Amino acid sequence: MSSRRRWIGPLLFAVYTLAYAAFVFVAAFASFEGGKPAGGLAREAYAGVNWGVIAGFGLIVGAFLLAVVYALAGPAATEDSEAPR
Amino acid sequence: MIHESSITAIAVFLAFVTSVLAISFRLGSKAKSAGGYFAAHGHVGWFVNGIAFAGDYLSAASFLGICGMIAVSGYDGFLYSIGYLAGWIVALFVIAEPVKRLGRFTLADALNARFGSRGVKLVAAVGTLVISLLYLVPQMVGAGALVKPLLGLPHWVGVAMVGAVVTVIVATAGMVSTTWVQFIKGTLLVFVCSILVWMLLARGFALPSSPIGPGEVQRLARGTAGTLVNGAPLSAENQLDSALRRGHGTGFGSVASLPGGVASTGALGPVEYISVFAGSSITTWRKGVDADSGETTFSPVERSGSELLLPGGSPTFRGVREDSLSAKFDFLSLMLALFLGTASLPHILIRYYTVRDASAARKSTVVGIGAIGVFYILTLYLGIGAMTSGALDPTDSNMAAPLLARTFGEGLFAVVSAVAFTTVLGTVSGLVIAGAGAVVHDLLRDGLGLRLDDASQVRAGRIAAVVLGLGAIGLGVLFEGVNVSFLVGWAFNVAASTNLPALVMLLFWRRTTRLGVIVSMSVGLGTSLGWILLSPDTLERVFGYTAAEATARSPVPFSQPAIVTVPLAFLALVVASLLGDRRPPAVRGHPAGDPSG
Repeated sequence: MSSRRRWIGPLLFAVYTLAYAAFVFVAAFASFEGGKPAGGLAREAYAGVNWGVIAGFGLIVGAFLLAVVYALAGPAATEDSEAPR
Repeated sequence: MIHESSITAIAVFLAFVTSVLAISFRLGSKAKSAGGYFAAHGHVGWFVNGIAFAGDYLSAASFLGICGMIAVSGYDGFLYSIGYLAGWIVALFVIAEPVKRLGRFTLADALNARFGSRGVKLVAAVGTLVISLLYLVPQMVGAGALVKPLLGLPHWVGVAMVGAVVTVIVATAGMVSTTWVQFIKGTLLVFVCSILVWMLLARGFALPSSPIGPGEVQRLARGTAGTLVNGAPLSAENQLDSALRRGHGTGFGSVASLPGGVASTGALGPVEYISVFAGSSITTWRKGVDADSGETTFSPVERSGSELLLPGGSPTFRGVREDSLSAKFDFLSLMLALFLGTASLPHILIRYYTVRDASAARKSTVVGIGAIGVFYILTLYLGIGAMTSGALDPTDSNMAAPLLARTFGEGLFAVVSAVAFTTVLGTVSGLVIAGAGAVVHDLLRDGLGLRLDDASQVRAGRIAAVVLGLGAIGLGVLFEGVNVSFLVGWAFNVAASTNLPALVMLLFWRRTTRLGVIVSMSVGLGTSLGWILLSPDTLERVFGYTAAEATARSPVPFSQPAIVTVPLAFLALVVASLLGDRRPPAVRGHPAGDPSG
């Protein structure tokens, strides 16, 4: 298996995990102060819609896009018989 | 509330369920061997399997629980949508293909492929049974919530109906029919919800005929004299929302004001719909107890739409808005459990055995993520629609989606309810199959060493399915009224703690030993279950303590255990592998399902 193909799964996993972790940490530590909205996900993004909604949709759509990338550029079917690392 | 049934609703519902059963029996008659019963001979096509993934995964928690939580608390329900979908990334990139290569029938097959150990099989089987049962409970609760408005029957009848139908499906047919039930259900669920959202957007928002005042508290009392609503006996004419409907032309959950002072918006686009909601004021209802009379009260509270689109509005996610570190950890822990739990659910993992090879497993997951992702985007619209359509039952959030459909007519209500019922059927079927497989292959055959031929395995699987079904019926009755997404959170915590560390280390750390896997799974299962049982949430919601009492009495600082118990299970595996049994694995590449020790 070419090294590029072997690393695409872990790379995409790392990208998504970082995005998800950023979303969760911003929600927990950067969106409220004293129980009141204060930036982060509470900030308006577009036409009254906040970043919480936009980021949520982004994570859902992003998961599908990464899955498609993996299906197209990941290990080929003929390489599937290799043992897991 | 009393929910009256209609002939149309019952007819459509019965037609749906009968059709699903007929398909199930027809396809199930082909599955005579153990390979057919438990893994559909590995011959399911990747597209069908992908949609079946969606059917399997989009359970009552997703459809009823998330919509209900958004309808009552706003954005918090959507956090479940985000977390549930994110979990598929772990499944696709880390778990799917190796599991497909290693296993044959059950999760234990994959975990035990290198070792041929009776101990690994036993622990994995117990873990599968516990997780399947935890996941079954919310499905049964959801079933009970469905039949109340649909058929006008009590909660327990719905639970018993699902238990009976699923037990018949699984006991007679196995994985082939379960796959097709899930395929049909997954397709219908996404299709019907898309139609419902399209109708919501076409309707837009509208104000009630007159504003609801802050003093219009609705009262409910249950006593020896029966149920009283606002001081008078509960009847078809005097329901919890009757006074609101007479006075304001709406029930629970309505718009108090719209941007620009208009009375209705007309049709809206998808972005506009959320934008208008954010700029509106919404009449929500706060549940309380009258200190003098002991009555349950529902008081109107006006909240801005923009506030409802922020996390932290529900008790489950309140940690987001609190300053205490333990509250923050509770939130982080649940989001971690949702992320790691999906790839650890036995009934999801065994679906990888129904396709031909690892490539098909990958394609299935991509299709599954697409269908599930579309559905989760729709949940935000469905929840907002239910919150503003005057159709909520404040005593049970789980009914929000079907009751929203009822605002468009009895026909759509019947279809949505039938699809939701099929949703429960599909998921419960998958769970019962996973549990039955664990009992037969891992406990009876490999754990206890019983010699079972092919026919005996199928027979034992069917008996196990019946027993599991009965257990699920009992628990479903016990947990009536608890939000089903909240209940599913428990299953995700336990699954992530029990299975994920062992699976990941087995796949990616060559020094993992048999003892390490056994210790890790035991520690993950024991600590996560123990933590949940002693948590403030359990003391409050299950044992009836007040929130303050529950926090004071609980020995654990927050309710969601994954952030502690997942690392603990990883640590236990590393320590046990390094210090314990140093012998090389007994059977490398050992074919699953052929244990030797």
